[in-house]
This record gives sequence, structure tokens and C-alpha cells, in this order.
Amino acid sequence: MDRRLEGSVTASPATTTGDDAELLALIVRGEDRAMATLYDRYSRIVYSVALRVLRDPAAAEDVLQEIFMQMWRSPESFVAARGSLGGWLSVVARNRSIDTLRRKRPSEQVEEIALASPFNLADDSERNLLMEKARAAVVLLPAEQRKTLEMAFFDGLTHTEIAEMTGDPLGTVKTRIRSGLATLRKAFQA
Amino acid sequence: MSSAQHIPPDDLILFALQFLPEAEMSATRRHLLECEACRRQVGWVQGDLASYAMTAGMQAPPDEARERLLSAVAREKKLIPIDRPVAVPRPVHAEPEYASRESRLFTMSEPEPRRSGALGWLGWAVAAGVAVAGGLQFQQRQNLQQQLAGADARIAAAQTESAKAEAAMQALAGNGATQVALHLPASAGSPATVQPYGQAVYIPKTGALVFVASHLDPLAPRKVYELWLLPADKSAPMPAGTFKPDTHGNASVVMPDMPKGVDARGFAVTVEDDGGSPKPTTAAVLSGV
Repeated sequence: MDRRLEGSVTASPATTTGDDAELLALIVRGEDRAMATLYDRYSRIVYSVALRVLRDPAAAEDVLQEIFMQMWRSPESFVAARGSLGGWLSVVARNRSIDTLRRKRPSEQVEEIALASPFNLADDSERNLLMEKARAAVVLLPAEQRKTLEMAFFDGLTHTEIAEMTGDPLGTVKTRIRSGLATLRKAFQA
Repeated sequence: MSSAQHIPPDDLILFALQFLPEAEMSATRRHLLECEACRRQVGWVQGDLASYAMTAGMQAPPDEARERLLSAVAREKKLIPIDRPVAVPRPVHAEPEYASRESRLFTMSEPEPRRSGALGWLGWAVAAGVAVAGGLQFQQRQNLQQQLAGADARIAAAQTESAKAEAAMQALAGNGATQVALHLPASAGSPATVQPYGQAVYIPKTGALVFVASHLDPLAPRKVYELWLLPADKSAPMPAGTFKPDTHGNASVVMPDMPKGVDARGFAVTVEDDGGSPKPTTAAVLSGV
């Protein structure tokens, strides 16, 4: 994994929470209890995202196992370098699930980038609040933006595939994705 | 693409979603190495996507998944160098279960404030001192025992690995070694530009076998690749180990448990269910005779 792409970590508005970083440090030392704690904290997010993409509990469980085993084997690649660990895991869960759908080799290009998120998903209440906020914000999106985002993120359809399926111009699809994400960001910042 | 010529925001989003064609993904990645502004943009998009991911209906994984993970973790117990520093020391108050023996001991032996005069105070201080000293000795002994146990485990593992490596080297260098190249069977066909490839080195006399493969396709969930030795007498293929490729499609099987004295006419690889199969159940994805 190329460490040079981690340069933006310090510029991120949030870093891996102190508690997560400490647990990861213990995993580096082979503490399996720390592994269990992180699993209890984030397995629900990872599994839910994988299940939403794959719609197959066994395959979602495989993605869950793969991601947490990667954390156990290479905690250094997770340590304090990805912004919010929970947020980063949710994106990794989506990407790995899409890779599984497409029978593609796991791509780490995107995952090397530190994630900028002001949320601390290690905290139960903040996690629940974020989920509620996200659902509320998505409901308010125009129907086309909502559908396009869903097709892109959870169904793993590329912008080209979405354009072919909906008959919309490619530029329109890109704009909907960008606008949808921008609206979400504003909603979270409000 | 220079850092002065920023990547359009739409393309950065497509990069984050992994939707760009491979060549553009690589070009974008190269640009991101140099351009902090674009890198920061991608970080924000990733943050937006992480927020959006929260709209997935939350469901708990099955309880067995936790058991499965922790069993796998226990199987891959790490051997950590004794002097390896912990990056961030864990605060004792946050998670009592991770409090060190030392901190628990100190808390237990900390004397309660007393107001019974200098002599009484002195007595408690001596008692506390003895308790702390005893505790520290106990802890030092425990540490030494742990260090010794860790060292023993590492020596044992190193010896096993060394023996395995030596046998593997003999397999690679031995005079009686048979080398077999494995390719995609002609009937299989593949749209991949880079085709999977394998190389087996085998000494029938000792049963020593080393197999390496590259450019393997990723596996479906709960599937493994299985290597087969095809006996020269055309009897049933013999299982020679299962394996999963790494993220780059590389894999190896080193010194699987094989009987001695079996002549091979070739090797093959199939995809089987997790755990392997006693006989091939699918067509070979790699074979060589």
C-alpha cells in the first residue's frame, strides 16, 4: 500500500478516534481482545453495507470476515491513517462487495486515500445520530438523484451503465451523483 | 497530468466510486500522489460516501460470524517481537479489561489515607512499599516468563520454517526434480489479457512439491483453488493442497503433505468449495503435463 497517498491525513477534519487508534495499536501487538472490541463496534456497519450490495447473507459474511481478517493481519494499514475508522470501513465494505459482485480483484487505489469525515462512528450515539441524519437527508433528495446514488453506490453500476439503463445522458448521471453527494454533505454540516 | 491541472470534480467522484477505467484510475492515482488539493477532494467524497453508506438498513451479522472470526484470529495468533513498542498506550480508565497487571496492582496496593499518627502512617507506608516491591518482582517474573515463552515459540516457528524452506530449496534444486508449467487449458478460454500461470517443482522420490502461481482470478466467496497431482499411472488425481491468491493474484503451495514415490505425469488446479475436495469437482483452471 502506497504510504504517499496518506499525506492528506493530517489535513482531514477527523482522524481515527483515539480509542480506535489504541485498539489498533493493541492489534498490532497481537491482542485478540482488541480485535473482538473493534468487531463488536463495527461489524454491524460492515455487514449491513455488504448485505445491501450483495443481497446474500453468506457473501456479506465473507466480506465481513475478509475485512476484519485484513485488519488483524495488517493493522498498520488501518492505524490512524484513514480518518474515521468506521466511515472508512463502510466504504471498504462497499468496495469489496462490488469487487465480489464483479469478480474483480480487490482494488486498493481508492482505499489508500484518507477519508475526511467529521463523525466519530466509534461512539454509539453519534453513529445512531448519523444514521438518522443520513436517512432523513436521502429522503429529501430529488427522486432521480436518490435513485442514481443508490444505483452507483449500492448496486455498483457505473455511470455508463446507469446512463444506458435509464436512457439519461452520461453528463446528467454524473451531475446527479455529484449533486446528491453535495446535498448530503450540506445536510450533515447543517 | 500535472498538479496544476486539477482533475474535474466529477472524475474524482468516479475515482472514489471506482468507476473509472483502469488506465484512468492509475492516471488519477498518480496525479493524487502529487496534488494535495485533489487528494483532499477525494477524501471529502469518501467522507460523503461513508455518510451515505449509513443509509443501508442496519442488520447485525449472525452470532456465528463473530465466532468464526475470532477462531480465525486465534489460528493466526501473532508472534510479536518482545521489544516492539505499542504505538499508543491504552489508557487504563477507558477499558478496564485492558488495564495492565501493573496498574491493577498499583491500584490495589495504594494505601488509604490514615490519620492515626506518624507511626501508623509509617507502618502503612512500609506495607505499601513491600506490596509494591513484591508486585513489581512478580510482574518482572511474569514478563520474563512471557518473554521466554515468546522466544521459544519464535524459535520453534523459525525451526519449522527453516526445515520447510530447506526442503523447498531441495525441491527446487534437486537433480530428480520434475518441473511442470501450468497454463490455462485450451478449452477454458479467457477474456483476460494476462492469463494465469503456474509452475510446479516436484521430486517423486521424496514427495517434495513447490507450486507457485500468478495472475490468478479472484475467487467467489467460500471457494478455494486446489492443486492436484496427476499420477503417471493415470490413477485418480491426488489432492496437493488448497490455496487462495493474494490481492495481486499470486499464490503458492510449499511442501504439502504428499506420499513419497508417486510419479507424476502433470499437475492441475481446480476451484473447489472452502476446505478442499478429495477429488476434483470442476474443470481445471490451470493444467500442465
